[in-house]
Amino acid sequence: MIRVFFYLAWRSTYNRVARQLRQLRSPRYLVALALGLSYLWIVAVEQRPRPAPGSVVGARWLEPLGALGVVGALLWGWVFGLERRVLAFTPAEVTFLFPGPVTRRGLVQYKLLRNQLLILFNALLWTLILARERFGASPWLRALSIWVLLTTISFHRLGASFVRTSLMEHGRIALRHRVVSLLALGAVVVGLVWSTQSALPLLAAGWAAGLTTFLDALAEAAVQPVPRVLLAPFRAMIRPLAAPTFADWLRAMGPALALLVAHYVWVIRADTAFEEAAAEMSLRRARQAGGRGGTPTPRLAHRRAPRFLRLAPLGWPGGAILWKNLLAVVRTRRARNVAAAFVVGSVVAGLLSFKGDGALAEVAGWLAATWAAMTVVIGPQWIRNDLRSDLLKLDLLRSYPLPGGVVVAAETAASTLVLTALQLALLLVAYLAFLGNAWMEPNLEVRTAALLAAVVCLPGVNYLGMLIQNGTALLFPAWVHLGSGRPGGVEALGQNMLMIVAYSALLAAGLAVPGTLSAVVWLLLRDSLGWGAGAPAAVVLLATIAVESAFIVRWLGGVFERTDPAAADIAA
Amino acid sequence: MIEVEGLEKQYGALPAVRGLSFQVRPGEVLGLVGPNGAGKTTTIRSIAGIIIPSRGRITIGGHDLAKDAVAAKSLLAFIPDEPHLFDYLTVEEHLRFVGRLYQVADVEQRIPGLLEELDLSPKRSALPGELSRGMKQKLAIACGLLHQPQALLLDEPLTGLDPVGIRRMKSTIVRRAEAGTAVILSSHLLHLVEEICTRVLVMNAGQAVASGTIAEIVASRPALSGRRLEDVFLALITPDGGARE
Repeated sequence: MIRVFFYLAWRSTYNRVARQLRQLRSPRYLVALALGLSYLWIVAVEQRPRPAPGSVVGARWLEPLGALGVVGALLWGWVFGLERRVLAFTPAEVTFLFPGPVTRRGLVQYKLLRNQLLILFNALLWTLILARERFGASPWLRALSIWVLLTTISFHRLGASFVRTSLMEHGRIALRHRVVSLLALGAVVVGLVWSTQSALPLLAAGWAAGLTTFLDALAEAAVQPVPRVLLAPFRAMIRPLAAPTFADWLRAMGPALALLVAHYVWVIRADTAFEEAAAEMSLRRARQAGGRGGTPTPRLAHRRAPRFLRLAPLGWPGGAILWKNLLAVVRTRRARNVAAAFVVGSVVAGLLSFKGDGALAEVAGWLAATWAAMTVVIGPQWIRNDLRSDLLKLDLLRSYPLPGGVVVAAETAASTLVLTALQLALLLVAYLAFLGNAWMEPNLEVRTAALLAAVVCLPGVNYLGMLIQNGTALLFPAWVHLGSGRPGGVEALGQNMLMIVAYSALLAAGLAVPGTLSAVVWLLLRDSLGWGAGAPAAVVLLATIAVESAFIVRWLGGVFERTDPAAADIAA
Repeated sequence: MIEVEGLEKQYGALPAVRGLSFQVRPGEVLGLVGPNGAGKTTTIRSIAGIIIPSRGRITIGGHDLAKDAVAAKSLLAFIPDEPHLFDYLTVEEHLRFVGRLYQVADVEQRIPGLLEELDLSPKRSALPGELSRGMKQKLAIACGLLHQPQALLLDEPLTGLDPVGIRRMKSTIVRRAEAGTAVILSSHLLHLVEEICTRVLVMNAGQAVASGTIAEIVASRPALSGRRLEDVFLALITPDGGARE
């Protein structure tokens, strides 16, 4: 049976790559490939000077910090169970494999095999990204080490998702079967919480002294007796990466491979919840592929449309698309949960900031502010209620009596609104968390001005960012993953990181002119207007972004109108 | 109402449609028939403004589809064989959505009648995931009919419908045509074409091989006199004139 799986995986991949390569007959794709390869070349070879010994990515920190990173990735999997996406079968796989003479274990093995393609690709990318780093014996050995690490993490997260599914589906009965897994998880969590609490003074002192001292403190905390034991398996997964010689690498690979095999056995043996999870994921995937099959009911928070989302019969026709895309977001249970969490978080943060020394509120505030800043670059990859979802229904969009520019503008506005709302909610939590902090710098006046500036400027910045994302999908529909989901998890981290860096560069280029003009206005008026100079600077920034966006929308609208669904080769 | 002149569509080296020309007047129902790969769907999708023709000119109600696409598309409705619906919109919301796109001011007044006509009233609050294949098809049809289009393009419209649905659909098409809508219907169901189409366009390998009323087509080939549309169809699309059948 395994030969059949190999055949299916190999031929599917070959044909898919061949189909995507055929797009190179289009000059647009050819230019994109040339730019992409140049970008990879710069990342891998050209851009980085050889790091001096003791640079931030130093070998002494690699093992403890890497182990902590692995712990974080694995705990994330236990909490959110995202790795179940590995189980998503295509409708064709469901049709041919589920009724076929294939064991459940065989199906798991097949999906693990398919997931290897993503892991191998990302192992290659990480090898390129880390090509000039000084740790490790050689790039080839590093590539093997990365592959073992990513595969082990992937197996672990899949096993964790099996346990989660089993507990959710079978409750107390499953608890007895999963007792070993759950005890191990509980011991690690309790131990880590206790260790973190003990190490807090050391870490706080390190933080105050600077990044290097903080990292040293973290590495020191990781070798204390309890964390040393708890982190041992995670360090073993990282150790081959840091091994300086071939002999060291060989010695380190033994335990890493043993962990990999142990995880494989765990996943293969923990497949009892597989069928339910696989069926659910397969149906969800079928729906994401454009509702071509039997579409299951989405998990809605509420069926009735919120009052503020009523659609008038007349008005800007693009409003219909905007309404549809916003409704798709606010109806999901996740959106409701996030909104509720923000309301509770804001209240708690506000109360805590006036209580005691406000240290907890300050930590929460910095976390929220950091996340808000990070969402400027990573948010557009997460929030995809725009053309990236609707291009799967390109036929339908093309049949509407709307100019291409209206479609692009409305689709982009939908994801922009959601992203901006998320960022402003995070900033509000941060603002409330710092509210009772009288001695904090920047002071309340500056923080209030910054919040107002964010309210004014973020929609424009986000719109430009979302135009870049939507434009990429529209220009390269055969190469961009379409649908509400995207490749995720630790194994896809390499490609997602490269995409974020490339996107950040494009966004920075897009903001260069508006930012420069705005800065000039600020500098010219600062002496006479003080903080008030922020208002005309913001107006200039938004006006320039609006002009820039109008040109891009017009251009992309033309591209939309010229895109032939039959020739576009949409990548579902 | 619908004019197609010299329509051609090329996929790489493969010609899907070659030099196709025809007209559909208000009140006419034109049946597009032909074997798989004849170019029927490509033709219908080109008229709907989905596919960009390689050559030729399409006008809807006097509006050139290439130059004035929005005005042309405002007059037509395209109902595909596979209903494309949005997962997070209910039946009623789909209709409101389409109403806004086509600027239908009295959308709320039109919705109950349409839901009743297509037997969707009990499902007005259902999401597509809760509908059967046939119900989804009915919803797609309702969305197409909401703005009372002057040109109706139907690609295999009976796919997935039950016998009651088929009867209703047929009477809906006839009623719309009687009200002055120009209809193009692509189907493999020759009895349907025979029953409700006023004219037939037979396609093969991207070209029109015959067109006119069934009587006109038969009259142009005396050997087929007195035979059913199925025999006529086979005679037109097979090299041996359907002799083996």
